[in-house]
Amino acid sequence: MLKFILKKLLMIIPMLLLISMIVFFGLQMTGVDPINFMVSPETLSANANNVEALRESLGLNDPLIVQYFHWLGNCLHGDFGYSFDGSAIASIIAVRMPYTFELAGYSLVLSAIIGIGIGIISAIRQNGIIDYVGRVLAVLGQAIPQFLVGIILIQFFSIKLGLFPSGNRVSPEATNTFVDAFVHLFLPVLTLTIGMVAVLMRYARNTMLDVLNSDYIKTARSKGIPEWKVYLKHGFRNAMKPVLVILVFRIPMLVGGSVVIESVFSYPGIGLTMTNAITSGDYPVVLVTTLIIAAVMLICSFMVDVFNALLDPRVRLGE
Amino acid sequence: MSDSTTVSIKNQNKSAASSLLKKNIRKFMNNKLALFGLIVVVIMTVACVVGMIVGVDYNTPNLTALKTPPGGEHILGTDTIGRDLWARVLYGGCYSIFIGVFCAVMSSVIGAILGAISGYFGGKIDQLIIRISEIFQAFPQLVLVMMLVAIVNKRGLSNLLVIFVLTGWMTTFRMVRNEFMSLKGETYVKVCEAFGMKKSRIMFNQILPNVMSPIIVSTTTNVAFFILQEAALSFIGLGVADSTPTWGNILNAAKSVSVVTNQWWVWVFPGLAISLFVLAINFLGDGLRDVLDAKQQ
Repeated sequence: MLKFILKKLLMIIPMLLLISMIVFFGLQMTGVDPINFMVSPETLSANANNVEALRESLGLNDPLIVQYFHWLGNCLHGDFGYSFDGSAIASIIAVRMPYTFELAGYSLVLSAIIGIGIGIISAIRQNGIIDYVGRVLAVLGQAIPQFLVGIILIQFFSIKLGLFPSGNRVSPEATNTFVDAFVHLFLPVLTLTIGMVAVLMRYARNTMLDVLNSDYIKTARSKGIPEWKVYLKHGFRNAMKPVLVILVFRIPMLVGGSVVIESVFSYPGIGLTMTNAITSGDYPVVLVTTLIIAAVMLICSFMVDVFNALLDPRVRLGE
Repeated sequence: MSDSTTVSIKNQNKSAASSLLKKNIRKFMNNKLALFGLIVVVIMTVACVVGMIVGVDYNTPNLTALKTPPGGEHILGTDTIGRDLWARVLYGGCYSIFIGVFCAVMSSVIGAILGAISGYFGGKIDQLIIRISEIFQAFPQLVLVMMLVAIVNKRGLSNLLVIFVLTGWMTTFRMVRNEFMSLKGETYVKVCEAFGMKKSRIMFNQILPNVMSPIIVSTTTNVAFFILQEAALSFIGLGVADSTPTWGNILNAAKSVSVVTNQWWVWVFPGLAISLFVLAINFLGDGLRDVLDAKQQ
């Protein structure tokens, strides 16, 4: 088992290298000259020499391969370079990363509890009232685009009722940081949770139904095991595996969803940083944020494998 | 003698298959939500396609009627620069539905083929394909879209299609692979192998039909997924170019607070169109699942 985990863990490194290469060279191919974003056209034509010196000092004149390894070497030393407006990327990340983790983390925990809970209950009480209401909500939550949910929530809670701010993460005049965080996180977390719950609920219900229809459940019942034990020990445990896999699988989508939601709520996390960097052509920031998101997704994928191996011995023995 | 028996067995199989089909259709018809989904999907698709063929005018601004509320000459009103919203929703529907269906079908095809190969052969090939799928999985879609947009130098429909298919096949792949891994141990596969049947025939003619139901269901729900994905990308301004209306592109107007508060119809109608279509697709997928899943029969 340890060997299996180690092997999977080591696989992440070459993958990250490959991805960093693809992004690095891909971004070079876009042909956007970063100089254009730093210097006004007039200065560009007037001070050709200085601009050339700037290029040289930024390392933009080196061959691509050299630039790549230079950048990679710096990254490994924890020096992620500077964004084109001069601030250190490491410090940008240090500030914004926790914001995104907060957003995604709260949504994940909340939606896991609500989604799996309702899903399991509606499978056990199939066609009951919870099942019916849950299905309607799940279907609605899945049908309405997430950003639209965000807009509707903003429209309702912040414009009409004025209960919550429509964006940002901290307000400067906040006295109670806890209340401030809660108030700012409420709408974005709610938006992300609605989307996640819809998927999880549906999935948990379907998986649980599958399990409850299988023969070993009938066997368990016919042995006279109490109903709740059948559901919990025989049903729930077997239904958990695919649900957990989907849950972990959903984390990358949560990260992706938070990119969009951060832009709806102008929430200053990694996603908004990346979107802004992409539109302004800020290469160094795009590179680092992409790698971070890719690393998060690889780790999730690794967790799916480990979960699978823990729950199903065939997987790890097959390796 | 032997000839007639084979014929009769064939006929029997045929009639059995058709009665199963009939049974399935009846079962589907009894599922009201699924039927509702099918009807809505068909009506909306037909309406959009008819709108496109008739050639509704979605692009010419009516400068005398900017931001008109629904009613009168413009059924759904006009947007901020006076374009007829009804025409735009119809036309946008064509693009949105096309994007959804095309990407879902293509990614299912790729996922199924790779999943079959990976699951059936196992070993090194399996490892390789899994690694590739993980790389694609790990790649942020947003950056891929942006890179391709920048390289091709225009925000086109084809960019989006390529990206969606490239980044969308992994879930089907995993599912088909896992099914294949458990199915390849079944007796009928062993029998086929013992008969010396070609591997490709075993994979695609013998095992794949048994995996078809989940593939069909996931393709249906993927249509909805891709439509939503396109809408999200267009909403943050990285999707299809503004000149091509899609439901997401029309919704892009809702980025401005004044539109959200004052011109509700500009975002409510395309929003309703997306939600209704996705809803219907999901009902349809659920219904198909209930009909096709042999375990529940």
